[in-house]
Amino acid sequence: MAGVAFLSIILGVGIGSVCITPVQIAAIFMNKMFHVPLPENFNEIYIGLLLNIRLPRVLLAFLVGAALSVSGTVMQSVLKNPLASSYGLGVSSGAGLGAILVMMCGVSSGVLGVFLLPVVGLLFGLGTVFISIFLASKFDRNMSNFNIVLTGMVVSLFINAIMSTLASTSQEYSQRILLWQLGSFSLKEWSYVLVLFPIVMACIVFFMRFTLELDILTFGEEQASAMGIEIKKAKWILIGMTAILTGTAVSFVGIIGFVDLIGPHVVRRFFGCEHKYVIPMSALFGGSFMVIADLLARTLVSPSEIPIGSITALVGAPFFIYIFFRSGKEKVA
Amino acid sequence: MINIEHVSCGYDLNPIIKDISFTVKENEILCILGPNGCGKTTLLRAISGLLPATGTIRMNGMNIKTAGRREIAKKIAVMNQLTSIYFSYTVYETVKMGRYVHSKGGIFQTDQKKEKAFVYECLDKVGMLDQKDRLITELSGGQLQRALFARVLAQDPEIILLDEPTNHLDLKYQIELLEQIKEWGKKENRCVIGVLHDINHALLFADKIMLLNDGQIKAYDDSCDFDLTSLNDIYGIDVGDYMLHALERWRI
Repeated sequence: MAGVAFLSIILGVGIGSVCITPVQIAAIFMNKMFHVPLPENFNEIYIGLLLNIRLPRVLLAFLVGAALSVSGTVMQSVLKNPLASSYGLGVSSGAGLGAILVMMCGVSSGVLGVFLLPVVGLLFGLGTVFISIFLASKFDRNMSNFNIVLTGMVVSLFINAIMSTLASTSQEYSQRILLWQLGSFSLKEWSYVLVLFPIVMACIVFFMRFTLELDILTFGEEQASAMGIEIKKAKWILIGMTAILTGTAVSFVGIIGFVDLIGPHVVRRFFGCEHKYVIPMSALFGGSFMVIADLLARTLVSPSEIPIGSITALVGAPFFIYIFFRSGKEKVA
Repeated sequence: MINIEHVSCGYDLNPIIKDISFTVKENEILCILGPNGCGKTTLLRAISGLLPATGTIRMNGMNIKTAGRREIAKKIAVMNQLTSIYFSYTVYETVKMGRYVHSKGGIFQTDQKKEKAFVYECLDKVGMLDQKDRLITELSGGQLQRALFARVLAQDPEIILLDEPTNHLDLKYQIELLEQIKEWGKKENRCVIGVLHDINHALLFADKIMLLNDGQIKAYDDSCDFDLTSLNDIYGIDVGDYMLHALERWRI
């Protein structure tokens, strides 16, 4: 999987309006890292194109894909629902709404700087989860998975309706809001990568600490509790962390669905269900998938771009239906 | 030994179990009988600490009501009715989860060899060692229950609570599973408290039988001395007559 991830990154940085071969990419890196002289007649425009435009974009796509795929993995296991995702639970919508409000209000913060969007996205993502869980706990004190998924869907639809209303009432921002709802990696700089990288890595390491708990939670709350897991605490922590991960990723690039749904399923098919494998592999798969999706988004109708959310949905929607029918045949012994 | 004194519990404001007291000693198998909705599962949930209850529940000196989930799970394992399984773990991976309560958690494990040997031993006890690499979603109902029993054994508890574990199993698997559980209890000198619907199974499987109705104990005795006529009022039929009639048909 690491090889696939590496290959996707090479393809991502190499293919575009101007193609940069792997040999040229290697030459640029050798030159920058070890001061190896560039070959004669080397077009130096490639250096800026690779290091300042393509590489941050591709790495950001990889990190966002990894973040969404891992958060989907955790969400599906915690809620014992193969169709659960951060997107479906309203985390993405919540974070998206936060980012749109920042955009529309023209808020900027000297103190937070580049951190403003992720902080707002994170807070709104977390807020959405808390609202969903709070409502679920009002229906059912034990916060059953079914109620959490149901309230999450309702909250998600409600927030989407707010965003649509904002888009239709604000001529000035309607185009930007619409594009934001479908996500984009264009014009992203290194600062985004540098902020997202430590957050994604910290969350993945955190989830690796909970791999056994996640395995057991897939058998349902009652059994997990009888096997020694403090259910409510585990749920709050794990769902809260997925909200942080998703909220931060979404706030940078907009709402991108389906990766969090399909990533975990593909990985489970090839590497089994144990989370000590599924989490790292989901990160690598999600990252690679997003890089390839972004590559398609910017090259299929070049010089214009297809929103990344459209590409992931075009692949994800048929997959969702496949999973839906397959889950209908799940084992009920 | 588990000691239950004046335990009452229920859901929201609806009391299900009303002031129940009994004791189960080591090496003893107690079977709880009773009609649907009498509180059998609720009582098991209270004993395992999954449902808040008033009164006292003590297990070898440990107060279940104040103990943490991990602490309880080291002593009490619960085997529920079969439910939907969505994720395809192998039999080995499933049984290994039973060791969670004795592990440090996450990927930071120690003594993997010893843990693996223990899991293999549990699989061997239920005759599933040769099936260890199969996916649990591919198993028959009987095989799946045996795998889940192996997971309970991997938890290495002092007491097992069984909530209708033989539901949806055919007769062969029902007998096989109950025999395995009984053998384990007697061999390892542990307690078993089980909810069963089949009176015949209860009489053959248990040392003691408790009859529960409307959240209260209606009869409690050794299985060999249990007064079967006490079932008549509760089930609304002459149970003895029904069983004799069935036996007569077998003789014909």
